[in-house]
Amino acid sequence: MILLLAVFSGLVVAICRAQLHGRDLRAPALHHIWLVLLASLPQWIAFGLPATARQIPQQFAALALVSSQLLLLTFIILNRDQAGAWLLGLGLALNLSAIIANGGLMPISPQTVARLLPEAAPGSWQIGQRLGLDKDIILPLGQMHLPWLADRFLLPSSFPWQAAFSPGDVLIALGALKFTWAMGGPAANPFFRRWIPV
Amino acid sequence: MNRLISKLSLNFGQLDNRHVRLILVILSLILFILGAGAPGTGSGVGG
Repeated sequence: MILLLAVFSGLVVAICRAQLHGRDLRAPALHHIWLVLLASLPQWIAFGLPATARQIPQQFAALALVSSQLLLLTFIILNRDQAGAWLLGLGLALNLSAIIANGGLMPISPQTVARLLPEAAPGSWQIGQRLGLDKDIILPLGQMHLPWLADRFLLPSSFPWQAAFSPGDVLIALGALKFTWAMGGPAANPFFRRWIPV
Repeated sequence: MNRLISKLSLNFGQLDNRHVRLILVILSLILFILGAGAPGTGSGVGG
């Protein structure tokens, strides 16, 4: 939800930017879009659809997440010339590093879970298990690899919903903002971009 | 008249194509960030 908020707020700003300059929103030429569609499938099955996400064993969920994110990494490398691609790719690489280092799921500490879900019933989450249907696995800080890349930040309590997010998620949100900002800008032209500041 | 109709349909076709590309790019970005990001919300806990 917080990442979607970055895309939608970025789109609103891009539309305003385009309107101010009398332009239309620009659709950048992305290559191999099918990779994103293909990468989304295992994640929808393992995490998105409650009916299947509840049935899938933790090992298969981990396999689905890692294989899906490797496809997404391939996609962003193939589209590295797009605005924000480096931030999107770096954020994904940080998340993927934490995920691979911790057995295929994003680590989250019990302390963060307790702050995220203060009203959860006792026994509704357990150390070493997935956090609900999320991509997270609950691990004590002592057992966690690369703990600084884990889901460790929480939204301010004034937000209408809560989420724990990682440094990689922050970079992905910034990359999405930069990508959408560029959609409201002029068409990329290497010659003119060299001489005219935008 | 025929020229006008063909010009209109050409413009409409281009507009359509541009909108389809725009929607495809936005959908790809949304799918990418949903797949690349890993925020924890606790969905399904206790459910």
